[in-house]
Amino acid sequence: MWRSGVTTFARGRQAQASPAPGSPAAPARARPAAVLAVIAAGGLAAIALWWTGTPPIHGLGDWLTNAGRLTGLACGYGVVVLVALMARLPPLERGIGADRLARWHAMGGRYIVSLVVVHAVLITWGYAVTAHTNVISQTKTLLVSYPDVLAATFGGLMLVGVGISSARAARRRLRYETWYYLHFYTYLAVALAFSHQFAIGAEFISNLGARIVWGTMYAGVGAAIGWYRFVTPARQAARHQLRVLSVQREGPGVVSIVITGRHLDELRAEAGQFLRWRFLTRGLWWTSLPYSLSAPPRPDRLRITAKQLGGHSHALAALRPGTRVLAEGPYGALTAAARRQRKVLLIAGGVGITPLRALFQAIPAGPGDLGLIYRVSSDSDVVFRRELEQLARQRGAQLWIISGRRADLGGDPLTPAALTTNVPDLAQRDVYLCGPPGMTAAVTQALRAARVPARQIHHESFEF
Amino acid sequence: MRRIILAIVSTTAALVFLLTFKTHNVSSVTAPPAAVGTPSASAGGGSGTSSGTGTSSGASPTPSSTPSGGSGASGSGSGISSAKTVTGDAADTIYGPVQVQITVKNGKLTAANATMYPTETPRDAQINAFAIPQLEQETVAAGNANIDAVSGATYTSNGYITSLQSALSKAGI
Repeated sequence: MWRSGVTTFARGRQAQASPAPGSPAAPARARPAAVLAVIAAGGLAAIALWWTGTPPIHGLGDWLTNAGRLTGLACGYGVVVLVALMARLPPLERGIGADRLARWHAMGGRYIVSLVVVHAVLITWGYAVTAHTNVISQTKTLLVSYPDVLAATFGGLMLVGVGISSARAARRRLRYETWYYLHFYTYLAVALAFSHQFAIGAEFISNLGARIVWGTMYAGVGAAIGWYRFVTPARQAARHQLRVLSVQREGPGVVSIVITGRHLDELRAEAGQFLRWRFLTRGLWWTSLPYSLSAPPRPDRLRITAKQLGGHSHALAALRPGTRVLAEGPYGALTAAARRQRKVLLIAGGVGITPLRALFQAIPAGPGDLGLIYRVSSDSDVVFRRELEQLARQRGAQLWIISGRRADLGGDPLTPAALTTNVPDLAQRDVYLCGPPGMTAAVTQALRAARVPARQIHHESFEF
Repeated sequence: MRRIILAIVSTTAALVFLLTFKTHNVSSVTAPPAAVGTPSASAGGGSGTSSGTGTSSGASPTPSSTPSGGSGASGSGSGISSAKTVTGDAADTIYGPVQVQITVKNGKLTAANATMYPTETPRDAQINAFAIPQLEQETVAAGNANIDAVSGATYTSNGYITSLQSALSKAGI
């Protein structure tokens, strides 16, 4: 059994699990595999467009040029996919989750940015070979006498710049907001590069149908961006009129904020989800902060809890009641809807306790069917201790608070063996996992080693 | 690192795969449709191995004009030695029509001039800027339509040769 620093509560009196808040018809959730299939199908359609529109090729010049066309098509399609992933489409956010979407976007982004460079090189080289000129003069010709290529080149350079600024080495040096606003240049880059597809793209020049479809794709994603990232938050702001109700210190560097508003049930927020909050006060109004609900959402109030990380949280502690708040969301796939088994185990690492605290209260589970492991580096990092203990008693749930660094505990307390010893029916449980990326990765490995099926492991890691 | 290598390898493989398929289609194909009824044989078709350097690819269209007593032009080789200009029928290519006009003096081809060729896109203009003069030069040098297509300008070359043959048959040579 886990040793010092552990508090264990066996099941106490019989208690009813708090019923899940009645939810209306379940909102649409996209399945990750289905989304990937759709993306792949679109890519194949783009390749088919090249295939049907290209006469037989022979010679180095043809090879290079057509390789350049294929990569160009892939880029033109790829940027649309990348933007769509970040358009905050509700089915994607609920079904795939913001962190996974961000990871897909990051991986795809690196690929597409590289592909843009490859496309430019191949086209220039291919044209040069076919026209029997050298690459330098061909570059000049392309930039000067081919329509829209100069604009597209600027767009491409912008994309490369954004890509560089998003590399891990760069992000460590950049403040989050700086990187965030730099990233908006991608919209400008796409706009600049769009027209050269139709002006000189071999597949589009004489194919009106292709132009219509392609243009519709771009327009559709643009409309989605406008609707879900601009119009919807504005509508929500007007509808809900969110304001700070109270600010409460939970512990050293941790503060809870209760937010009130009207018609909050229409948000359809679920325990385990987060929203992106914009507090309209000096120092915070220009940044959007993702914080999870730390208690199940009520029709008249929402509670979030934030840990002190950099300048923002100082400002958060100083928030005055009555401050207006804009919120986007809710987002996140770490909800009761992901559940398949009767029994549930929640594993929280550090600040990851926030969404799991809400699930600990709201996820439907009978006595003995729910457990929470709360892993922290030191006792002072524990938040919600009294609330958690109270909930454990009320719900007949198990609660383990494991504090202390590995060195002090004599190793990692969350090994497969330790997990199965303390939670014997681990493999029959749905495990919800939330914490820093390193911790979630390690625990996921341990769970898999303990034979918990991958589809029963649900996790969200805070790396935006 | 593994993902990077995987991305590079699979992208390259996909590109090579797709492009190879397009190249294979070429080996047994005949030249693109020409408006005039003269079949140009596998001009450009058999040159799947051309290296794309400055030399023309080998192609020899079969001259098809049937010896005719004066098709559309004045007599053959009688004493009149004035130069006459004959324009061949325009030959269609997928990028646009090509039409060739030749000057014949004493039954010999002395000049060739492409009066119409694709210039719609900057690409067409760039390619034909070097292809057309080369074809015209070769025509005069050969004196007939037995000229090589210009590598990288297959369609223009085929259209040119087709129209040239039409002009030659109209001129009776």
